[in-house]
Amino acid sequence: MVDVAVIGAGQTKFGNHALGLKGMWAESAENAFASIDGDFEPSMVDEAFIGSIAFGGGQIGNTAALLTEHTGMDNIPVRRVENACASSGFAFRDAWMAIKSGQADIVVAGGIEKMNDLTPERKRFWLGVSGDTEWERLAGLTFPGTYALMARRHFHEFGSVHDDLVNISVKNHMHGLDNEYAHIRKDVSFEKAQNGFMVADPLTLYDCCPTSDGASTVILAADHVAKRLSEDPIWVLGSGAGSDHLALHDRPSITQLIASQRAARSAYDQAGLDASDIDMAEVHDCFTIAELMATEDLGFASRGEGGLFAREGRGRRNEGSVTINPSGGLKSKGHPLGATGTGQVVEVFKQLRGEVESSRQVRDANTALTHNVGGSGATCAVHVFGRDLK
Amino acid sequence: MSSNQCINWQGNLACIQQDGLVIKSRHTIDGNHVFGPDSDYTTLAVSGLSLLSEESEINSVTVNGNIDKLVLQACGYLVDDDGEWKINCANDSASISISKDVEMDWEVPGEETDRERYNLIKNAWLQEMNAVSQGAFVSEQAYRSGAASRMNFSSQQLGDIRIWPPREMIGDQRPVDAPPLGQSGIIESWTKLSAGGAPSEFSLRAPILGGIGTVFVKLNDGPRGVFLIADDDNSEPEIGKVVSFGLRRIYAQDGLIRYGLKALIS
Repeated sequence: MVDVAVIGAGQTKFGNHALGLKGMWAESAENAFASIDGDFEPSMVDEAFIGSIAFGGGQIGNTAALLTEHTGMDNIPVRRVENACASSGFAFRDAWMAIKSGQADIVVAGGIEKMNDLTPERKRFWLGVSGDTEWERLAGLTFPGTYALMARRHFHEFGSVHDDLVNISVKNHMHGLDNEYAHIRKDVSFEKAQNGFMVADPLTLYDCCPTSDGASTVILAADHVAKRLSEDPIWVLGSGAGSDHLALHDRPSITQLIASQRAARSAYDQAGLDASDIDMAEVHDCFTIAELMATEDLGFASRGEGGLFAREGRGRRNEGSVTINPSGGLKSKGHPLGATGTGQVVEVFKQLRGEVESSRQVRDANTALTHNVGGSGATCAVHVFGRDLK
Repeated sequence: MSSNQCINWQGNLACIQQDGLVIKSRHTIDGNHVFGPDSDYTTLAVSGLSLLSEESEINSVTVNGNIDKLVLQACGYLVDDDGEWKINCANDSASISISKDVEMDWEVPGEETDRERYNLIKNAWLQEMNAVSQGAFVSEQAYRSGAASRMNFSSQQLGDIRIWPPREMIGDQRPVDAPPLGQSGIIESWTKLSAGGAPSEFSLRAPILGGIGTVFVKLNDGPRGVFLIADDDNSEPEIGKVVSFGLRRIYAQDGLIRYGLKALIS
């Protein structure tokens, strides 16, 4: 079966944008096209999958057609992919499958979200659209509350503490400090993160990612095309995905994400690798507790030891066996919902090719993983990448 | 319970009398009973009926226009224009009586509440009634179809497993209707959301209340659920604490007050 590689990747800065949807997509696509080593034209793209929640309702229908018509990909099959915050992680998986199936040679996977042009009131309506509306939202929960319930339960079952989450927050802000694409580029001290404004007890402002505008674009190609168009393709070694009950109350446990575990197992098996083989991982830290649980679900830490993993600083850049969120993660880089998944791939593409700022380059990075979660864990896509095709 | 025994019942003051029951809000201003921040005649009526049904059989009830009949029906009561039990709402007080014949009253001191806060909450509810969703939305149809589960824990059964909230499953996973679950459980996790962290449906009242509390509860009959803590329950939640439930207002939208069970920790 055909192998698949990433041959180009680009994004906008995540944050507050003056640009609208079309402008952000154009900038992101242009950056991605420019990153391709060989002679490439957008008209060579066979198919496109674009992840977005269509936050705010400005362009829910035919979003993908609106975007691609401005970037030279005329008349090709396109569609919006929606799986909450994992929308573009799944768009990437769909693109990978389109090539694997033999139906396409060059496919675009991307994501986009415009979040900060809404009134605060309207924004809060949209921030809760991906939970169980009838049974969780009516109980007063948006995602800060949902993840707060998970955090307190994890503390209770495993003895993790809020300071473990503070360590994650400090690390990710440190990682994002030199990332020119990051939304929040500031050094955050342990004391400051420890004493942040309480959003959803026990989660403070420093445990929560920001709401961001942004777009990201990735170009995937079949092996025979990749070798022609790229001097240094990044190979997709494994693609896994999973789902789970939408509502927390239907899950046997709220201190682990079964969808993440299933997606990771599938991706690792395809790649013939395990967690110990991964040099860097972009994980879905919408809240710091989400990163703590992800380190367990992805196998970087044993079950219940995510707190210890964070306490010992094992995810810090170039300090342990794996660097967790070298981009700054959602916490620092930002979280434009639909753009986050392929934004993680942009970071992997650049890190594995040695193209990020030297101050934040992960040393000797040959393998990488992306982990993109929808909402509180109802959906998850995990991908494993390598510089070498196994 | 013996006659004329008066108790704190689901956060209200209730007194079983010879011919029925009187139930009042525990909140007062200048000695007059006023509704709590998420209570009204409907929540008092459901609370009173649940207490009365421990003593007497409730075949049918008659209500006036102050009470949402559909809520009483969702809670399992037959509402009839000529019902056996009459629910009478006091004109100028957060108080109702439930009896077969005579109107009753009963003097009981309450807890003085802050007048300004009371007025702010009252006005917020009035504004909220005109609110329109700008995103996530539970339609009236969806709210009504889930009402018996939301307000009375009506459940399903599949083999030995009790299911709540109800599910639409297929094949051999299709559950059958089962009696309502018992209204108590244990807190497995909890959070308090700041006013800014609460959903928009609560944005007018959450700042006045100082945020909203939510508990993740394992019900004694098995299922788990997420519940708001009653607005006037100031107890500190803790993992392992026992909770009971009472009917309260949740939020208002499109001219409709939505009710549901809220957790009572104290």
